[in-house]
Amino acid sequence: MSSTLIHRPDVALRDFHDEGHGFDVFGLHLPTLQRTLAVCGRLCDRYFRTQSFGVDDIPREGAAILVANHGGALPLDAALLCFDVDRATGRILRPIADRFIPSLPLISTWFARTGAVVGTQANVGRLLERGELIAIWPEGADGIAKPLRDRYQVKSWRVGHAELALRYRVPIVPVAILGAEESWPVLGRIHPLRRFGVPFVPVPLLPLPLPLRHHIYYGPPITLHDDRAADAADDPVIVAHAATRVRLALCDLLRDARQARAGRLA
Amino acid sequence: MNVLVTGATTPLGRAIVDGLLATRNVGHVLGVGAELWGPGLPSDGTRFTYERVDLTRARSVHDLLYGPARARGIDTVLHGVLHRAVRDRGDHIHAVNVEATRMLLHECGRHPGIRRFVLRSGAEVYAVRPDEPNLLDEDHPMVFDPAAPQWLRDRVEADLLTCAQIGTARISIAVLRCAEILADGLASQLWDYLGSRVCLRPLGFDPMINLLSIEDAVAAIIRGLAADARGAYNIPGFDTLPLSRLIARWGRRDLPVPGPLLAPLYWLRTRTVGFEFRYDLNLRRFHLGGILDGARARASLGYVPRHAMTGPAPRAPS
Repeated sequence: MSSTLIHRPDVALRDFHDEGHGFDVFGLHLPTLQRTLAVCGRLCDRYFRTQSFGVDDIPREGAAILVANHGGALPLDAALLCFDVDRATGRILRPIADRFIPSLPLISTWFARTGAVVGTQANVGRLLERGELIAIWPEGADGIAKPLRDRYQVKSWRVGHAELALRYRVPIVPVAILGAEESWPVLGRIHPLRRFGVPFVPVPLLPLPLPLRHHIYYGPPITLHDDRAADAADDPVIVAHAATRVRLALCDLLRDARQARAGRLA
Repeated sequence: MNVLVTGATTPLGRAIVDGLLATRNVGHVLGVGAELWGPGLPSDGTRFTYERVDLTRARSVHDLLYGPARARGIDTVLHGVLHRAVRDRGDHIHAVNVEATRMLLHECGRHPGIRRFVLRSGAEVYAVRPDEPNLLDEDHPMVFDPAAPQWLRDRVEADLLTCAQIGTARISIAVLRCAEILADGLASQLWDYLGSRVCLRPLGFDPMINLLSIEDAVAAIIRGLAADARGAYNIPGFDTLPLSRLIARWGRRDLPVPGPLLAPLYWLRTRTVGFEFRYDLNLRRFHLGGILDGARARASLGYVPRHAMTGPAPRAPS
């Protein structure tokens, strides 16, 4: 299958809010996204031979939050997820990027043109109000460049996604991405390089990722806002509890996905 | 509604006067400026009169409000006087930007006939940072950098001293923070930037820019004057586009240059050619962008931008 945005742009245009010059307010530019997805498609299909499961759990319309695990030396898993969502549903996925991204030359512009948005509450809230599909990696930058012994272990876990889901009353879809950790293992992290606000620089074991098969598993949507008012998002205990629920769901999905992958490999 | 408009001789001031005179519920417009007379101002003495006043003097401000303004039944004041030249600094500039606002606000608060005061501020008062939202709402942090040029510090001070009166003053006060209007004579940094045949842009950055047309600015200001809503309101424009697209649309050559070289290059240009554009003023914006969020103005004032910029216009003779 190929990118919906490339072959049926009318489908993906439902999610695009043009400000009059071919860009949305955050800088998304459809032709740039199309070119990027074309490259991602080749990477996804031929190099990583990505297989996805449970795509029916991705909402076909309306706002929703995909919550995924991070892995690998660089966030290639985010690119694979964007392409996979595009070809499965025809929707434009808006990845939520860390706050140091806007300070990075070239990367900041490329990220903005391909739909990434800096992870502030106001930015993400605006996307959800417009009914867009967003992806959050609650592990943040700590999720990438983990030692191999910690692969697929969810370490740090921020709670912003749960707060947003409660406030805007949108479902959360957990997403387990397998393959990133093994395909590009890291030796370690260099911490003192803070020139552009980057928390660390990963030191990969190999110059390029190995062409290992990737698997993307989508779990059933979680509705955190059932029986709760929107102001529950202001209660830190409720938010923490909701975030833990999402984390447990993702950990269960990761465990099941690894077992399923092991079964297939056997 | 009878309106006093300061800065009536600027291009925007003239457009506001014309817009007010075309509005049905406006009775009289009293234009105020530092010049003897502004070219293009209407000569109709029945609905428009002009007064030359030095707003930096407390006596002049008092006499304006209790003389011509009271005689013409002025009940609404629009203050939009801000010194335009970035390079100028000193006590007199501060008096034009800040003290005039303070005195006008004080006298309006005491005046028996005035019920409404509107300050025209700008988007430049907002601090743009990488960890802040792309969309700047009215609660966004402001620039409090002591190293910022006086041009900017004065604008923030005038904005804040007006905001400080919003909750306590007898009259209703609104601050309209307008996006940049790309036109000559309006202290537009981008206008000056685009005046060069080659526009240097920080390599690797292409921020989103929002531009306000004069037509939309006039519409927003008239709505702000007629409304009774108190508070600060962002006034975004219709056009939101990347800086590179703006440069191309203006027919200029876009030349990305490593960021650290830009400040000295533009400093040299200012020294040699005398242009007003200062890179240090625009550094954050040229890296990070920042678009005004007009949700509050839409909800309270009913303002929606409708007019796209008309494109590059020939520079007016200096």
